[in-house]
Amino acid sequence: MSSERAAAPPRRRLPRPRSGRGLLMVPPVLVVLAVLVAPIVLIALYSVDVKTNLPFTPTKFTWSMWRDFLPPSQGKYPNPFWHRFEVSMVITVIVSLVAVTAAYPLAYFLAFVPRRSRYTLLLLMLAPFFTSYLLRVIAWKIMLSNSGVINTALWDLHLRAHGNGIPWLIYSKFSVGLVLFYSWVPFVAVPIFVLLDNLDTSLLEAAQDLGANRFVTFLRVTLPLSVPGVIAGFVFVLIPTTGEFITPLLVGGPDSQMFGNSIQSFFQDTPNWNYGAVLALWLVAVVFVMLLVFGRFLSTDLQEANT
Amino acid sequence: MNAATGRLGKAILGSYFGLMIIFLYVPLVVLVVFAFNNAYIPTLPLSGFTTRWFHAAFANTDLTGALKRSAWLALLNGVAATILGLLAAIAITGRKLFLRSVWTTLLLLPLVVPYIVLAIGMVIVIHQLGFQASLTAVLAGHIVISLPYAILVIVPRLRTLDASIVEAARDLGAGTFSAFMLVTLPLLVPALISSVLICFTISFDEFAIASFLAPPDAPTYPVFLYSGTRTPALEPQVIALGAIVITLSIVLVVGAEVSRRMLEHRLAT
Repeated sequence: MSSERAAAPPRRRLPRPRSGRGLLMVPPVLVVLAVLVAPIVLIALYSVDVKTNLPFTPTKFTWSMWRDFLPPSQGKYPNPFWHRFEVSMVITVIVSLVAVTAAYPLAYFLAFVPRRSRYTLLLLMLAPFFTSYLLRVIAWKIMLSNSGVINTALWDLHLRAHGNGIPWLIYSKFSVGLVLFYSWVPFVAVPIFVLLDNLDTSLLEAAQDLGANRFVTFLRVTLPLSVPGVIAGFVFVLIPTTGEFITPLLVGGPDSQMFGNSIQSFFQDTPNWNYGAVLALWLVAVVFVMLLVFGRFLSTDLQEANT
Repeated sequence: MNAATGRLGKAILGSYFGLMIIFLYVPLVVLVVFAFNNAYIPTLPLSGFTTRWFHAAFANTDLTGALKRSAWLALLNGVAATILGLLAAIAITGRKLFLRSVWTTLLLLPLVVPYIVLAIGMVIVIHQLGFQASLTAVLAGHIVISLPYAILVIVPRLRTLDASIVEAARDLGAGTFSAFMLVTLPLLVPALISSVLICFTISFDEFAIASFLAPPDAPTYPVFLYSGTRTPALEPQVIALGAIVITLSIVLVVGAEVSRRMLEHRLAT
């Protein structure tokens, strides 16, 4: 890293002495360890009562909160937070599946549109995704609320009796699902688009030369080849939605709160950090399992050894 | 091209794409329209044109204070995350790096850890250390969640840099450091600018971490927005400001992409 070395001619092309380069990794790694890893370790300690925020409370290692939360020992009445987790996962999986299904034709269209307009259209589709997430949810609240844009439009058109809003339009699983779908669908199209965009079109021509029509070509060639992109898109919604809590906070009702809201409630409304830590660590564990299952579809192009 | 879609297929796909674009933009357009609507509650029919919500919003010092706070925070975050990301990117793209995959996995971890977990984890850490909630804590959280994005923007650019240019500089007598400063860094400028912009946006919009860690008397702009949606008197101002921010961010995204392409095109030739 010293520039004095440069002053020593004659230079020879040796393997570049770059031993110091790896040390640059130290500051970013330390920041992540301090701000991300240390908190997760503390959450783990809280979840087994080794640490607590309650003053004058003796701490002692115990699995009791975990036993209370996890299903095996629950018997007849399931733990309400476990139930919330199940509801939340159902919403998450449905939203992810619908988003991938809706995004596929978007990606397909973009991948086969003339190259000139391709990236302009891609940008058009992605621009809303890059605006404030919170603002998009607020915009939907304006659309969906009881005297909001959709209901009042229906009243004005005499399609519904005045003052009689559609009951499931807001504060329901529908509204939570719709807004989550809206937020993620453009993003899901990206990995599918990248894959289709790089697809060797001569394969499609070959299939057709061999007698397949376009539909069969799609089913037997294009679709199977785009599976990695589809799975990547699925995971792109699945993982963030698993920990979601903002959308249910704004457009969800009591029966459509998600698991993230349960965690939040233990730190804000009814403080019990230790129990909240159990839920938080469970959420991390679930996300890590998802990564283990789907991780190989999420190649980030950073792992490969350099030239 | 013709192997992929027939004429009918193209028409159907095109209409579908058009409908989805409408679906994606309708809520944003509605927000902008109601920013100019002369009523406290956003309902149809529209009640006439007004700009008073914009005046009210900019006269509201709580709101402008939150906006300024978030802008500073986002700027600091953009610069800090980009510097850390650059360091990490240089290390990652190095020839030899001990436990490379461990470090890269660690640095990309914030992409998958739910923000709510990071937020409550930081609440616990701050409590254990005996500190108070502060904007510094929010900044620390934002730097960590922005870092992977900075790395993902800088690394590919660093990889595609022509190694022979750097080698030429070194053959001409430049040391590792001066070759980096004089050759590599200038070529990285477009990527660094995108990184700062992306990290700025991440922090500026971030609600989960800020809602737990920002002091109650110093909310960031998204935290203020959220409280505004629960206060009917504030809602029109929230909408007005939201309309400005949404319009600006779309202009920014499009502008950044266009200028990045132009810059890289110019550097490539």
